[in-house]
Amino acid sequence: MWLLLALLAAAPLGAQTNIPPGKGASRVPPATIAVTDEAGRSVQVPAEVRRIVSLAPNMTELVYALGLQAKLVGVTDYCDYPPEARTKPRVGGTMNPSLEQVVSFHPDLVLASKQSNRKETVENLERLGFAVYTADAHTVADVLASLRRLGGLLGAREQGETLANDLQRRLSDLERRLAGHPPQRVVFVVWPSPLISIGRHTFLADALRWAGAESVVDTPQDWPRLSIEELIRQEPEFLIFASSHADESARTFEDLREQPGWRDLKAMREGHIAVVSEAVNRPSPRLVEAIEQLAQQLHPDAFRAAPARGEEKRENRGTSGRVPASRLAKVQECRSCVR
Amino acid sequence: MRPLTPKRLFVISAALTGILLLVAVFSLKFGTRSISLVELFRILRDTAMGRSDQIDSDFRLIIFGIRLPRIVLAMIVGAALSVAGASFQALLRNPLADPYVLGVSSGAALGAILSLIVAARSPGATPFAAFVGAAAASAIVYFLGRRGGSLDSFALLLGGVVTASFLSAVIMFLMTTISGRDLRGMAFWLMGDLTTSSPIPLRWLLLVLVITIGVIYTTAADLNLLLSGEQEAMHLGVDVARVKLVVFLGASVLTGLAVSVSGAIGYVGLLVPHVMRLFFGSDYRVLIPATALGGAIAIVIADTLARTIVAPTELPVGAMTAMVGAPIFILLLRRRLS
Repeated sequence: MWLLLALLAAAPLGAQTNIPPGKGASRVPPATIAVTDEAGRSVQVPAEVRRIVSLAPNMTELVYALGLQAKLVGVTDYCDYPPEARTKPRVGGTMNPSLEQVVSFHPDLVLASKQSNRKETVENLERLGFAVYTADAHTVADVLASLRRLGGLLGAREQGETLANDLQRRLSDLERRLAGHPPQRVVFVVWPSPLISIGRHTFLADALRWAGAESVVDTPQDWPRLSIEELIRQEPEFLIFASSHADESARTFEDLREQPGWRDLKAMREGHIAVVSEAVNRPSPRLVEAIEQLAQQLHPDAFRAAPARGEEKRENRGTSGRVPASRLAKVQECRSCVR
Repeated sequence: MRPLTPKRLFVISAALTGILLLVAVFSLKFGTRSISLVELFRILRDTAMGRSDQIDSDFRLIIFGIRLPRIVLAMIVGAALSVAGASFQALLRNPLADPYVLGVSSGAALGAILSLIVAARSPGATPFAAFVGAAAASAIVYFLGRRGGSLDSFALLLGGVVTASFLSAVIMFLMTTISGRDLRGMAFWLMGDLTTSSPIPLRWLLLVLVITIGVIYTTAADLNLLLSGEQEAMHLGVDVARVKLVVFLGASVLTGLAVSVSGAIGYVGLLVPHVMRLFFGSDYRVLIPATALGGAIAIVIADTLARTIVAPTELPVGAMTAMVGAPIFILLLRRRLS
C-alpha cells in the first residue's frame, strides 16, 4: 500500500512539469500581438507569422487565397483544395489530428475552425504553448471579416482587403440582380439518408439567403435530422445538394428517385434540383463562388437579363462564379431523367 | 484464504508497481513520431539528472507534454474504474458487477452532460455531477436487483443493462435537442476517450483517487466478511450499513471521477479484479491495492494499443476494452450458470 501511495504521489511530477514553450514558440521573434479570436479566446499571434499549421480545410483554402501557401507547413487529410494542398505534410484528420505531428512541424501559429475542430484539440495545443487562432463564421459576412482579419494577422493585409472587397462587390452584384425575385423555398440536403439538413444559425442558411433561397427548415440545432414526412409537408420548391462530383450526385438522385417519399416530392418530380460545389460547405472565400452558382440555378431569369455592374470584369477573369459546362450538362441530364 | 502479512502485501504491490512503470516507459515510446528506445532512455536519463535543457525540444514536448499526461490520465482512470468494479462486486456480492455493465457509468455520463449544459464554465461541476449521476444510477440498480430482502444476481444485471440503455437514450435525446454546444467533442468522449484534456489538473484527480481508495481500503477487512453474507457479517460485529454506505459512495466517486475525464470505458472494472483474484486470492486487503495497480496497467496497455494499431488514426480506448472485455464477460457468465 505504501508503495502504491508512493507511486501515486510520484506520478504527478511528470504531469506537473511545466511545459516550457516549444521550439515553435522559441523561434518566434519576441514581438507578439494579443488578439481575441473568433471563438472568444485570447491568442498571442507573433508579429511576423512564419510557419502555419491549418487544422481545417476552409482555413487551408483561406491561406492559399491570401497567397501565403509558402508559410503553410501542415494541413489535414481533408484539405483537398486547391489541389496543391494535398502535397503538403499532413497532421491527420480534423477531429483527431496528431498533436505529435503538429509539434514536429514547429508552427508559430495554428489555424483552427470551430466548425471542424474539437475544443479539446485547441486546448491541448494551447497547453503545449502554441498560438491557436480559431475561426467561427456564422454568416457570409463573418467569412469576409475573417478573411480581412487573418490577412492582417498573417502579413497579407493588402491581399486580404482586395480579396474581401472583390467578394463583397460580387455579393452586392448578386443582391442587385436578385432584387425583385422572391426567395425560393428550399431544403439543403447535407445527407440524404438519414436526411440531415441545416439549422438557422449555420453560415449555410445565410449563404442560401444570399443566393435567393430560404431554407424551409428552421431549427435551432445546426444539423437537424429531418423526417421525410416533414419534407413532404413543407413542399420545398428546390432541393439543393452539395457535391464535388457531378456524377456522384447524379447517382444520389437515381437512388432517391426510387424511394417512397422522395419520389413524391414536387421538387423531385419537376426536377427542381440544384447542385452546388462542395465549397458551399466551407466558410472559405470560395463560398461566394458557390453562392453565385446556386443563384444561377435557382433564379435563371435574373441572369438572362442584362449583366449587372461588375459582371464584365468577372467574365474577363475567367469562369469563376459560373457553373462549369460539364456539371450543367449533368444536372440537365438528371432533370430529364427525374421527369 | 492465505494469511496476509505486510511482507506479502509489499511484495505484490512492489511487483505490480514495477510492471506499471515498465509498461509506462514502453508506452512513452509509441506514437506518431517514432522515438527509439535508446533515445527515450537518454531523454529520461537527462531529465532525471536535471539536464532537461539538453533534450531536443520536440521530444521534450512530445514525451512530457503529450504522452506522459495521457499515460498518467490512463493510470488514474484505470485504477478508479477497477477499484470501483471491485467495490461494486463486494457491495452487491456479485463477481460480474462493473460500473459500465451496471449502468453506473451511464449515470455518471448523464450527470456530466447535464452539468455541461447547465454550468459549462465551472470546471468542478462536471466531476461532481458525474458523481451524483453515478450514485443515483447505482442506487436505482441496487433497488432493481432486490428480491424479497436479498439481491438477485440476474435481476441486478438485467436492471443494470436496462438502466444503462434508458440513460443512453436520455443522453441521445439531450444531444439531439440541445443546440449551440460543442457536441462533437461529447460524442467522442461518450465512447471512452483519453485524448480529452482534463479540465481539472491531474494532481487533483490523483489526490481524490488516492483518498477515495484509501477510504475504501479501511473497510477491506469488513468487505471480506461481507462477502460471506450480510447476516454472517453482522453476527461477526460488522457495521454492515456503514460499510455499505462508505463503499457505495466511494465507488460512485471513483466512477464519477473516471467518467468525467474519459467517458464510459467499459469492462475494466470487471476484468481487472477477476485477474487479480486469480493471482492473489480474494482477500480485499490485497485485492484493493492490486486492483488499483492492475487497472492502471490494463488501461495504459489498452490505450497504447488504441493509439497504435490503426495509426495514424486512433481507436477510442473504450472500444479496445470492450473488444477484450465483452467476450470474457460472457465466458464468466456461462461459467457461473453451469
